Amino acid sequence: MRQLTYSQAINEALNQAMEICSDVLVLGQLVDFKSGIFGTTTGLAERYGSSRVIDFPVAESLMTSTAIGSALGGMRPVLVHQRLDFMMYSMDAIVNWLSLWRFKSNGKSGLPVIIRAIVGKGWGQGAQHSKSLHAWFAHLPGIKVAMPSTAYDAKGLLLESIFGEDPVIFIEHRSLFSMSSNVPETPYRVRFGRAAVRRKGNDLTLIAIGGMVPDALKAAHQLAEQGIEAEVIDLRTVSPLDKENIYTSVEKTGRLIVVDPGWESVGIAAEIIALVSMKLGKGMKVNPVRVCLPDSHTPMSAELEKIYYPNVNFIKIAAKALCNKK
Amino acid sequence: MSEINRKSIMNTAYHTMHPIDDVNIDVLKSIYRFMLRLRKCQQALIKEYHPANEMRCPIHFCIGQEAVPAALSMLLMKNDFLFSHHRSHGYFLAKAFSLRLLFAELYGKATGANGGLAGSQELSVHSSNFYSGAILSGMPAIAVGTALSLQMKNMPNISVAAFGDGAPDEGIFWEAINLVALKKLPIVFICENNGYSTYSPQLKRQCSDNLSERVMAFGIPSQSLFGNDVVAVYHVIHEAIKNARDGKGPSFIEAYTYRMNPHVGPEDDDYLNYRPKEELEFWRRNCPIKLIEEQLFRFGNMNESEKATMLSDIDQEIDDAFCFAKASPFPDNLNWDTLNYANTSPMADRLLIETDLKHFNQDQDYAIPRPY
Repeated sequence: MRQLTYSQAINEALNQAMEICSDVLVLGQLVDFKSGIFGTTTGLAERYGSSRVIDFPVAESLMTSTAIGSALGGMRPVLVHQRLDFMMYSMDAIVNWLSLWRFKSNGKSGLPVIIRAIVGKGWGQGAQHSKSLHAWFAHLPGIKVAMPSTAYDAKGLLLESIFGEDPVIFIEHRSLFSMSSNVPETPYRVRFGRAAVRRKGNDLTLIAIGGMVPDALKAAHQLAEQGIEAEVIDLRTVSPLDKENIYTSVEKTGRLIVVDPGWESVGIAAEIIALVSMKLGKGMKVNPVRVCLPDSHTPMSAELEKIYYPNVNFIKIAAKALCNKK
Repeated sequence: MSEINRKSIMNTAYHTMHPIDDVNIDVLKSIYRFMLRLRKCQQALIKEYHPANEMRCPIHFCIGQEAVPAALSMLLMKNDFLFSHHRSHGYFLAKAFSLRLLFAELYGKATGANGGLAGSQELSVHSSNFYSGAILSGMPAIAVGTALSLQMKNMPNISVAAFGDGAPDEGIFWEAINLVALKKLPIVFICENNGYSTYSPQLKRQCSDNLSERVMAFGIPSQSLFGNDVVAVYHVIHEAIKNARDGKGPSFIEAYTYRMNPHVGPEDDDYLNYRPKEELEFWRRNCPIKLIEEQLFRFGNMNESEKATMLSDIDQEIDDAFCFAKASPFPDNLNWDTLNYANTSPMADRLLIETDLKHFNQDQDYAIPRPY
């Protein structure tokens, strides 16, 4: 089967969505520019025109409100933020308007607004270009949060979001953009709330999210060489969470590590461990572990990045400790 | 440049109305009736609020601010969009009409406009394209997007945003002004300048109390006027709406008016002494309903018995709305999940293809991100 990179897959999803449905819009700073947001919007303006591929003023707050209003008028807008950090100006629009719109209308009015947010990592991105605030958004009722880790999921989840009826924060980890996987040419869907078991194993459950999935898989392969068979679950969406798949795996292995590209405290890892503890309690063989970012803002220096970001080794060390192996 | 501001408006002790003879008499009477109905409804709600305590939500009454919604009620088409601030009852009635829907919502009942989930501050009626909310300048910014969609779809409809003088304190307001000017969107911004953001006077918060001067700098036709003259307000909004419909872009209107009731709730708040006595007296003298009523009576178009009939019909409707609201059931059998999420996707079902994970190559190559 044909392979595409993660960014090509996003580009193809947008292209197909705009072709299938003339109500689909793309808004963002320089979405119509040649380089096309790391290739994800390349060619769209040429094909669909600048009225549907809208280079927006540097006004993230209004951009989100504009998307909300356009959805009321029947559009299906996709916003693009080159960095998730830039969308912080739009928190009022997201929290006070977008997330509660359906609720307060008593189900009569919905807003299919998609917010693509790219998270930087490495090469000194620093504290204002690297935050992955998926736990914040997952905390909000009324909003779904997608975190695809593969090109296949990026395309399928983006199409599912655009043609769904709920608002979606679509978080893309920049470190995934040049990775490739098999991607069907048809417009297909990947459902929310359905995790993917990327690797089967009986000794340990590794739950990974977004940019940490490749690391978790690599760690699992290396652990297998040392006799530890890890099951790797890619959550794909953090809101809603696929609780059943999580429970089933941890019931089988009795050991849990959550690998979360967010800060350690009060995050998705904490939520998953809470859920599993409430469900299985003493049924677990050992206490669960989380591998996360330290509770600190991101350093620029390359040497500090190495210790700040969890990597394959972090996961292996945690796994071996959990399985009582050196 | 316009010299109009709150002080200049108050320099005229008694305002005389814009001549009424160039407005159709039936339209004028409808405007007058709208204002009476709104005023009566507010007074009845205030009276009923305590000690019954059955309406358990903050309500921002709008006595004295009847003119703008009354004019809009005559000028908007069914498929136009109206976005309002939290002092929304006038706008609600301008677009969604029903006292029953309004009252039942205030009582938190299942039959209310929002099924009892939103209350007075966030009323909306989706089928009437009416929306409101309590966070300042949220609605004008959303109205921009709706105007954009109407322009893209070549619709004959427009988007109207009404807000107070507190909204332009917010940065997003000016982002919105910039974009509607840039894209020449079919939108009308109407500021009901009542001079206060809760208890804070405009000149304590803003460099000038004339907003249209500032908006005009963006190239948007802008006008400030005495907002209790409903005929003048009608003419100005009429022209702005016509321009928006004709593809001539946005307009901004600043109507100086006054809230005669407290900021929120039924209890008086003037004991806080945040508004000068002369100011209150000026606006009481220049009540928008009194001004139009004088004109209608003076020029022989209306008489006392016609007014009495209007009032008794309105009282009857208000009684009916109270009975309806009180007799209606509270919402029950709520499902928090389906209240917050659609969880159905008919469009995706129709357009997208089901596939499964066996197509997925899980050994995707592990790439090191390139420098960027």
